[in-house]
Amino acid sequence: MATQYVLIGNSAASLAAIDGIRKHDKQGAITLINREQGSAYSRVALPYYVAGEMTLDELLIRQQPDYGKIGVTLVENENAVAIHPATKQVELESGKKVSYDKLLIGTGSETIVPPIQGLDQVPHHYLWTLADAIGMKQATNTAKTAVVIGGGFIGMLAAEALRKLKIKLTIVEMAPILLPQLLDEGAGQLFLQAVRDEGVTVRTGALVAALAKKNDAIEVTLKNGDTFSVDMAVVATGVRPNVRCLQNGAVSMNKGILVNEFLQTNHPDIYAAGDVAETKDFLSDGRSIYAIWPTAIDQGRAAGANMAGKQQPYPGSLGMNVVELFNVTLAQLGRFREGAGDDVKMLSSGKDGLYRKVVVDQHGTLVGAVYLGDENGVAEMGVIHSAIRRREKWQGFQDGRPPKFSYGAVMQAAPRY
Amino acid sequence: MKQIVVHQEKCTACRECELACSFSHEGSFLPALSRIRIADFYEAQFYQPMVCVHCADAPCAAVCPTVAIQRQADGQISIIEDRCIGCKMCLLACPFGVMSFSPEKGVAQNCDLCNGDPQCVQFCTPGALEFADIIEASALAKQKAAAALGLPHA
Ligand SMILES: Cc1cc2nc3c(=O)[nH]c(=O)nc-3n(C[C@H](O)[C@H](O)[C@H](O)COP(=O)(O)OP(=O)(O)OC[C@H]3O[C@@H](n4cnc5c(N)ncnc54)[C@H](O)[C@@H]3O)c2cc1C
Ligand code: SF4
Ligand code: SF4
Repeated sequence: MATQYVLIGNSAASLAAIDGIRKHDKQGAITLINREQGSAYSRVALPYYVAGEMTLDELLIRQQPDYGKIGVTLVENENAVAIHPATKQVELESGKKVSYDKLLIGTGSETIVPPIQGLDQVPHHYLWTLADAIGMKQATNTAKTAVVIGGGFIGMLAAEALRKLKIKLTIVEMAPILLPQLLDEGAGQLFLQAVRDEGVTVRTGALVAALAKKNDAIEVTLKNGDTFSVDMAVVATGVRPNVRCLQNGAVSMNKGILVNEFLQTNHPDIYAAGDVAETKDFLSDGRSIYAIWPTAIDQGRAAGANMAGKQQPYPGSLGMNVVELFNVTLAQLGRFREGAGDDVKMLSSGKDGLYRKVVVDQHGTLVGAVYLGDENGVAEMGVIHSAIRRREKWQGFQDGRPPKFSYGAVMQAAPRY
Repeated sequence: MKQIVVHQEKCTACRECELACSFSHEGSFLPALSRIRIADFYEAQFYQPMVCVHCADAPCAAVCPTVAIQRQADGQISIIEDRCIGCKMCLLACPFGVMSFSPEKGVAQNCDLCNGDPQCVQFCTPGALEFADIIEASALAKQKAAAALGLPHA
């Protein structure tokens, strides 16, 4: 009989898993359960919607007929509330139960609600779901000023969208630099300056202690006692794996769902992939969660292939990011902040707005890189990325030239279409 | 599929290809906007033309968060510019550094094979570039290079 595949979630991990399954199994029935309505949209594109550069239709990365065409049944507006491995069923909020032979949990992340006094009494916005983005966009119709609480990746994306709408910004970040998950100290200082040069107020090393409604405005109080008023508040203090449907202890968890190198949980028929999964790490012996799109795709594809009966090991997650903010392009790969025993190669030191740093470990193997500069320099980070994946050794560098890896030979060897 | 086949040993790093590419696509002689690039290692006198190989399992297309990178019926990997948001994830994903980016249009760009008449090939006087059926032309070169690196050559 055809295998019954059930996937929870309708985003990067699940969509990639469908590709992985269909590569090896054209017959099995696939059911996709999503608590949201409609076909899949791109989370990564949400800031462009907020900024008014994209319509709701343009956010879609699948159209309704796309699902049926490849034998996928989309169950919309249904929240999975529990998983029962003993009976191999997923329980939905409506009371329905869906049976599976192979299950994928791709429920992604949820935003963290920070301990800010008065938060629940003032209107505020997160940026993770489509509904969040729609709410944020509505608020920008009238807001002239905004506070962004958290200067991490999502906070800065929100800030960039609001800046494009000419909203005057104050960004409050706990760390001494913005984007501490992406930039080292050197690039962080350059970026901080670039943001301030745009007229944005940035409060680093600061915490928001309280929010309060004051007439039509919101009064922000920092931990050090400073106060200021804004029209709109954005909260971006991080995300965590969304494991709400696993409260009954059905599968083993740490911060995320623990999986082996085949993306399997402690139940061999239950897989997890994407932001919700805590998987093998590429650079360390441990496990990691990076909550980024490329890892969700890689894990989803591998999980799908394994669910369809292949033995496709997942090589491990590698942190990576690229983003253009405040007219500066930033990119990061792997271990970009050097640890004990690591060596640093500075390719460009920040002069003329160009910062390129490569980190090699004690054996001379490439493990990470940071880039700050213009758009096209990211292509070089792509080359470094593949060299890290091949665990290549650092082979020297001439100023102004691409790093010297064996990529010419690799190119000759590439599988082509 | 017909593709640009590189004969590395014939490349002299004259960079005519970069000029031809940027002129035919962007209307100006700006190597920075070229979709073919010469990786030059002058001290070793090793010059490697780098251009999109329309990967069999293209990492750029897999990662694109807006499905802007799609394979055409003829096998070519193309960017649907209207769908591209300029996030640059494809640049970070391409192992060869051959995805480029147009700051003016705010979109990623790769080799589009000039509708079947690649200008870089036309202008490569040393004969380092050839427009040919990839399977026959490069199978041997590929295997040799792959073996030297200990890589699989499926
Ligand atoms: C604004 C924004 C910008 C971003 N930009 C980038 C970027 O530039 N680069 C990058 O690498 N990453 C970026 N990310 C992160 C990236 O989007 C995520 O890492 C990626 O979407 C993770 O995919 P996923 O499939 O694991 O989970 P998600 O995308 O979080 O999807 C989870 C899915 O599960 C569904 N779901 C959850 N719980 C249930 C339940 N109980 N029952 C039924 N359905 C459920 C949800 O509705 C959703 O469909 C960005 C994220 C945001 C919010
Ligand atoms: S741009 Fe790079 S990754 Fe994409 S098909 Fe071309 S060579 Fe492959
Ligand atoms: S830059 Fe454009 S083509 Fe490249 S990954 Fe982003 S959206 Fe896709």
